[in-house]
Amino acid sequence: MSTIDDKKQDQANSQHEYDDFTNEKLLAGHEFDGIRELDNQLPPWLKYLFYGSIIFAASYLTLVFVFEDENIIQAKEYQNEMAAFIEDEEAAEEDETAAPVIRTQEEIMASGQATFSKICSVCHGKFGEGLVGPNFTDEYWIHGGSRDNMHEVITTGVIEKGMISYKNILTENQIQDVITYIQSLQGTNPPNQKAPEGEKYVPESEEETAS
Amino acid sequence: MELQKFTYDNKITRDFAVATMVWGVIGMLVGLLVALQIFIPEMNFSLEYTTFGRTRPVHTNAVIFAFVGNAIFTAVYYSMPRLLKTNMYSKLLGKIHFWGWQLIIIAGAITLLAGYTSGKEYAELEWPIDVAITIIWVIFGINMFGTIIQRRVSHIYVAIWFYIATWVTVAVLHVVNSIEIPYSLLKSYPVYAGIQDALVQWWYGHNAVAFFLTTPFLGLMYYFVPKAANRPVYSYKLSIVHFWSLIFIYIWAGPHHLLYSSLPDWLQALGTTFSIMLIAPSWGGMMNGLLTLRGAWDKVRRDPVLKMFVVGITAYGMATFEGPMLSLKTVNAISHFTDWTVGHVHIGALGWNGMLTFGMLYWLIPRLYNTKLYSTKLANVHFWISTLAIIFYAVPLYIGGITQALMWKEFTPEGFLAYPNFLETVTQLIPMYAIRAFGGGMYVLGMLLLIFNVVKTAKQGQLVKEEEVEAPALQTQSVGKKSTESWHSFLERKPIRFLVFSTIAILIGGMFEIIPTYLINSNVPIISSVKPYTPLELQGRDIYVREGCYNCHSQMIRPFRSETERYGEYSKAGEFIYDHPFQFGSKRTGPDLAREGVKTGRIYKPNAWHYNHFIDPQKMNEESIMPKYPWLAEKDINLKSTAPKIRAMKKLGVPYPDNYEHQANDDLLKQAEEIAQNLREAGIETESTKEIIALIAYMQRLGTDIMKPQEEPETEEE
Repeated sequence: MSTIDDKKQDQANSQHEYDDFTNEKLLAGHEFDGIRELDNQLPPWLKYLFYGSIIFAASYLTLVFVFEDENIIQAKEYQNEMAAFIEDEEAAEEDETAAPVIRTQEEIMASGQATFSKICSVCHGKFGEGLVGPNFTDEYWIHGGSRDNMHEVITTGVIEKGMISYKNILTENQIQDVITYIQSLQGTNPPNQKAPEGEKYVPESEEETAS
Repeated sequence: MELQKFTYDNKITRDFAVATMVWGVIGMLVGLLVALQIFIPEMNFSLEYTTFGRTRPVHTNAVIFAFVGNAIFTAVYYSMPRLLKTNMYSKLLGKIHFWGWQLIIIAGAITLLAGYTSGKEYAELEWPIDVAITIIWVIFGINMFGTIIQRRVSHIYVAIWFYIATWVTVAVLHVVNSIEIPYSLLKSYPVYAGIQDALVQWWYGHNAVAFFLTTPFLGLMYYFVPKAANRPVYSYKLSIVHFWSLIFIYIWAGPHHLLYSSLPDWLQALGTTFSIMLIAPSWGGMMNGLLTLRGAWDKVRRDPVLKMFVVGITAYGMATFEGPMLSLKTVNAISHFTDWTVGHVHIGALGWNGMLTFGMLYWLIPRLYNTKLYSTKLANVHFWISTLAIIFYAVPLYIGGITQALMWKEFTPEGFLAYPNFLETVTQLIPMYAIRAFGGGMYVLGMLLLIFNVVKTAKQGQLVKEEEVEAPALQTQSVGKKSTESWHSFLERKPIRFLVFSTIAILIGGMFEIIPTYLINSNVPIISSVKPYTPLELQGRDIYVREGCYNCHSQMIRPFRSETERYGEYSKAGEFIYDHPFQFGSKRTGPDLAREGVKTGRIYKPNAWHYNHFIDPQKMNEESIMPKYPWLAEKDINLKSTAPKIRAMKKLGVPYPDNYEHQANDDLLKQAEEIAQNLREAGIETESTKEIIALIAYMQRLGTDIMKPQEEPETEEE
């Protein structure tokens, strides 16, 4: 049985038992419900992995506590990320000499529709029929129906009604495209339309051809 | 030497084994339901009780505390008497432990579905159940140490070291994390707030993984693997080194759940470094398990029990390498808040805990019933189904998690977010969610095969209720350390001293991290414009907690350009000082809400949008996977609870004016009427006393305080 007392242990020590399969030394007296234990050392690689991880930890903590490293202290990390972005942006602005790209009407409409379904449809309905936001398919406009009026609403927002500013979310091209797309919705007469709001807007002829 | 006769009680082991299987099936079925709900929102069957925010905690609690919990007790009640050559200390305590635990599980499932939750992950159960858990855990402890003390074996085996560490650590974690002030029969607020609550919660949460899912299962492994393989344990020395290093280091690693949050940098650094130092101690356990099988590999080919052990231990090795990698900030910046984390924990849960439990049951049940396993072939089928299921489960979540993180972070050449609408990054994942649910379904199927096999085995055998054995009495030992014995060998025959040393080892890390976070003010810089919630917002916040919104929405904007562009200014520690409990969340199935109320922000929505969206998210966007909450517009705010809530908050140090509880409902109704009026202007007819109004008030408050000028009286707008 498995109890250890001094005599037994001494006896066992003098005549080591060995595992049949591996020929490794079994620990004397270590038997628990038939389970024996071998007297093996730790695998060396595991030991060195442990030492390595302790060295890593010590260096990392030194970087944080002593050097306040800017790649670990997150406020500094964020400042650097934002500074790098602003630098990039300024550099990009300087060489903005590229010729304007000429795009087909289809491309403009596709881009406008993409923006509309990503962003606008959440409040104005999938087909522009109006939801929380007003209906785009009728002839009535709360803040005016010209391209300039729409541009104004998109870039500054109507915050008291829940329309946020998209100045820093959409590019100028995307804004122009989505306005074109919204204008195209007029008269499409989708189901579940929201009642007209605002003033009826009659376009002046020159407006239609803008940009 | 005179032999003493005694018996092993197999009935209690059998009962725990049955409970393991019953709760296993239930917990996994709820898991499957949750996996379907995440991409088919209608799967809540239009019931408030079965929305994702409530079913997901039922799943996590059921598989951790019911399935794995009962598996632990099965292993302890079977192995401990045998390793110590004695009967369990008290049959009565065993019975109270068994039934008490099962009642706690049932009470937990019912209250969670009914919406009673403390809102802290893996510690959701409310205060009366927390008290019951403490009592039952103490009873378990008495039974365990009673057994150890009456042992007939001088030294305690490594499995029992792990049981001891498990018992004491779970007790400490549970009690410290559950300190709360009740304001009603079933509801309470935690005493901690904001980042302090987050730190304590993740110290608990991480070590629930360590000391509920890991250490007891290492104990299980150290008993059942050498038994089933009939091979000696590879290295006793390794057992000693990896046991002490594991329990000492594990407790420090909690803050790795809060990397890039507003937790102070020094704590995050401790979380990262101690996680890295955990690799070798964890792998020590894996190596000792796998190398024990040397000389038994031909048996592994034939025996499904050993096969399951091998996959389980390998999964443990994988998960304990992946975990430290996820604790590196560069990796965590990608993995956190995504399905990657969910995949990671399921490698551990399905692989390590599941496979080891299955192996144990296939080995154990025939022995309890004095027969052979009904079908080894079927057990082999179960092995293959489960192994494939783990792959089908985890791989899509790794792909999905990384995909989504990269989409969140992608910018266009013009410097705008490539995917400004969060939903776009979600719809990408739907096919992955479908494959994951398939993998989960396979795993449940395997579990059913196990139950069939076990029932058939039990039927063909006869339960050996009492196993009669005999062993010599323990001879009196020398009190002091003998010159021939090592320091550790001495400790192994002094179990109380062993308990004390383990307790010291597991307390150091927690104390080092938690105490300074309370005592040193610089850890939570004060922002003077941050004020307590109004009574209406507080009611709304409690609805947010009740519905488990934190299961899908975070409230923690990390300091990355991709997050401040999407959500607004990154979150600061001082913003959360009145948040009892904190609601940072750990997964973004939906967008972050930390700045939801900021009018000049990127994600601001008007009251009418919130109203319509709560009632029918698919109306606002048909691809949305959020469940509908129409009952929020029907149920009235519980005005009676306002005064007790304010009183409880005041006790916790939230600076409401004197006697404010008497005035609170007047203020509440006034603010609610303003919101209702605003909704009427937008064409929505509603009464101001509905729950949805309170929730909207909370949404519109979120993240707004730091946008206000410092130290000026707060003026609440609509």
